[in-house]
Amino acid sequence: MTESAAAGIHPQATAASAPIAPTKIQVRDLHFYYNGFHALKGINMDIPEKKVTAIIGPSGCGKSTLLRIFNRIYAIYPKLEAKGEIILDEENILDTRYSMNKLRSKVGMVFQKPVPFPMTIFENVAYGIRHHERLSRADMDIRVEQALRSAALWDEVKDKLKQNALGLSGGQQQRLCIARGIALKPEVLLLDEPTSALDPIATSRIEQLVEELKSEYTIVIVTHNMQQAARCSDLTAFMYLGELIEFDRTEQIFTKPSKKQTEDYITGRFG
Amino acid sequence: MSGSSKEHIIKSYDDELARLTGEIVRMGELAVSQLESAIDVVERRDERAAQRVVANDDAIDLLEQEISHDVVRLLALRAPIASDLRNVFAALRIAADIERIGDYAANVAKRSIPLSMVAPIAPTNGLGYLAELAATEVREVLLAYRDRDAERAYQVWKDDADLDEAYTGYFRQLLTYMMEDPRNITPCTHLLFMAKNIERVGDHATNIAENIWYQVHGEPLNTQRSKRDFTSSPEMTKLGTKPD
Amino acid sequence: MNNDTLYLRRRITNALALGLSTFATLIGLAFLAWILWETLRQGVSAINLNLFTKITAYGEDGGLLNAMVGSLVINFIGIGIATPIGVLAGTWLAEYANRTKLGETIRFLNDILLSAPSIVLGMFVYTIVVLPSKTLTDGSTTYSGLAGGIALALIALPVIVRTTDEMLRLVPSTLREAALSLGVPQWKLTMQVLMRSARSGIITGILLALARISGETAPLLFTAFGNLYTTVNPMDKMASLPQVIYEYANQAGDSIHALAWAGAFIITMFVLILSLLARLILSRNKVSHD
Repeated sequence: MTESAAAGIHPQATAASAPIAPTKIQVRDLHFYYNGFHALKGINMDIPEKKVTAIIGPSGCGKSTLLRIFNRIYAIYPKLEAKGEIILDEENILDTRYSMNKLRSKVGMVFQKPVPFPMTIFENVAYGIRHHERLSRADMDIRVEQALRSAALWDEVKDKLKQNALGLSGGQQQRLCIARGIALKPEVLLLDEPTSALDPIATSRIEQLVEELKSEYTIVIVTHNMQQAARCSDLTAFMYLGELIEFDRTEQIFTKPSKKQTEDYITGRFG
Repeated sequence: MSGSSKEHIIKSYDDELARLTGEIVRMGELAVSQLESAIDVVERRDERAAQRVVANDDAIDLLEQEISHDVVRLLALRAPIASDLRNVFAALRIAADIERIGDYAANVAKRSIPLSMVAPIAPTNGLGYLAELAATEVREVLLAYRDRDAERAYQVWKDDADLDEAYTGYFRQLLTYMMEDPRNITPCTHLLFMAKNIERVGDHATNIAENIWYQVHGEPLNTQRSKRDFTSSPEMTKLGTKPD
Repeated sequence: MNNDTLYLRRRITNALALGLSTFATLIGLAFLAWILWETLRQGVSAINLNLFTKITAYGEDGGLLNAMVGSLVINFIGIGIATPIGVLAGTWLAEYANRTKLGETIRFLNDILLSAPSIVLGMFVYTIVVLPSKTLTDGSTTYSGLAGGIALALIALPVIVRTTDEMLRLVPSTLREAALSLGVPQWKLTMQVLMRSARSGIITGILLALARISGETAPLLFTAFGNLYTTVNPMDKMASLPQVIYEYANQAGDSIHALAWAGAFIITMFVLILSLLARLILSRNKVSHD
């Protein structure tokens, strides 16, 4: 079935022939086990800095799992195990000595469904910052405003910062979650199907935001929406059955993928 | 490499793509038969038949419109990517090439009318050979398109050199005739234009071949093609000398 | 033609099923209405000022003051013990022991406790609290409001554990992940985020537990026993409304029965108000989520 597996070759990590940016995250021979189930089988990839990398693939291919290893959020559940290396700025984050606080302040994450905390809009953004830094009231106000501005939400919420965040629309909530993530000034932003619960307009806003944010952040986005990957990513990785089948420039993947499995998947011929 | 032999999960998508291919092939066949009719008309010196050929070109134009419409529809509704995208994109370009081929056939038929008003001259027969080469090219390239056969398309692409060479020879022949007797100038000029049209048909066949190559391989056919139409080179002013 | 008979048959079946289930519902509701109506009819007519000012020592000329005070004290003790333990245990189950064998076992045991007959709990408290205190104090303290409170706490506890557990587990796991991915530690997450989300549900659970224990009679007979006089000392024997209703209902005399009805009415109202309050809190919470 998987020709690369049959030949014993793992798709090489190098995205296209020439690197398009310095590498931010290096994944080296990453394996992942769920209760003994081999969910990721030797992933190797170099995620470039300040670019948008999209991960696509059918449900259960391991794309979300991979994303959730990048900030080790998987570790809150029992019986999950990751083997191999993920090197973020020359340090292996899978090393148990690697500080969780440091990791979580460097790597932010936004989830499929918008999950604002049951607090005010202001507190939602300030909450994470408080844990990592002591700021004066004035400084905190500035930080929160900055984050909300970067998430293109400021103008919509500046007059209701003291209101409950649950009163915002779905799209606004998701941008609030992005603001919350970037308020910690992370270097990497992980987006796990961030628009799957949003309407097309809210989706476009998020995609525009991704476009704007990539000048400052390394962004990894998992998506089921092929067109979304095509629209907003620089690089696209296709995963299938726990393997990285192909990883290349997005333009290449969507005009001329080199693997048949990728072609079949993106053109809707799977199964 | 050429995408996938598998069917789409959405069956109607396959139907629409197949329909597009069918339309292109039909359009191509129409263009070839137009070209053959045009030559036939020239040889038979039949003015009314010539007008019929000219009028028939509308059918090709209509088909092209239909294909454009289908392509736009596919792009809008199916958002094709990868091989499907190349498929649709190639169809659009191939249709444009075939449409031009049809125009050239019609042009040949059109010029046959003034040609039939003067006395027949010997070189007229040479045109048939050129047309035969061109028609074969188009027919071959259509088969290559139908079967998504890039190698066959490449063969056509290379074979066009023969047509170019034949055209160059014919050009020289016509020049000789014109120099022999100025009364030949009028019919020879017509023949010259007709020959040029047929030579252009070959060029469009090679365009189609390039599009097939792109559709199948996802990259352009980028071997530098040697040009064999030397009629524009200064050498040709020196009559009777073979350029080398 | 054929279709018409088919549709007719369907309509008949539908009408039959609808009729039967409506009838069954009406039977249930009829009894409930009857009970409420009797309580209201008998209870309201028995309500007077004496009820709230006099104690049961005066018999049919007295009121229910000591029983009401006793009920308040005992319920307060019961809910006071059960709430912190229950909320903490529920939190542990949902947040720390979720999906572990130990957690599943304890959740299962809690469910057994939830359905344990209350008289068994009463006897249990009698054995572990009333009897030892008799020995320890040379008989000066035997039955007590405290013992009654402990018995009620045992009834309320599994309810609170269960609701806290359920409410916390209803909080989407992505909310936990979102907080943890900001680097927030587990305890802060639990206290500041999860509790806030689950708060109204947990409070509702506590109110429902209170409603449940305020009507309990059996466990109090072995533990708080009863008292003809008013006391707020938890080490004393203590009267309570259900216990007084139980005793008065067993005595002869219309005015004594009227007092029992009045007590029943008061408890019913109390439970009704608690239930309404619980619904109000839950529904308000729901609105704010949408």
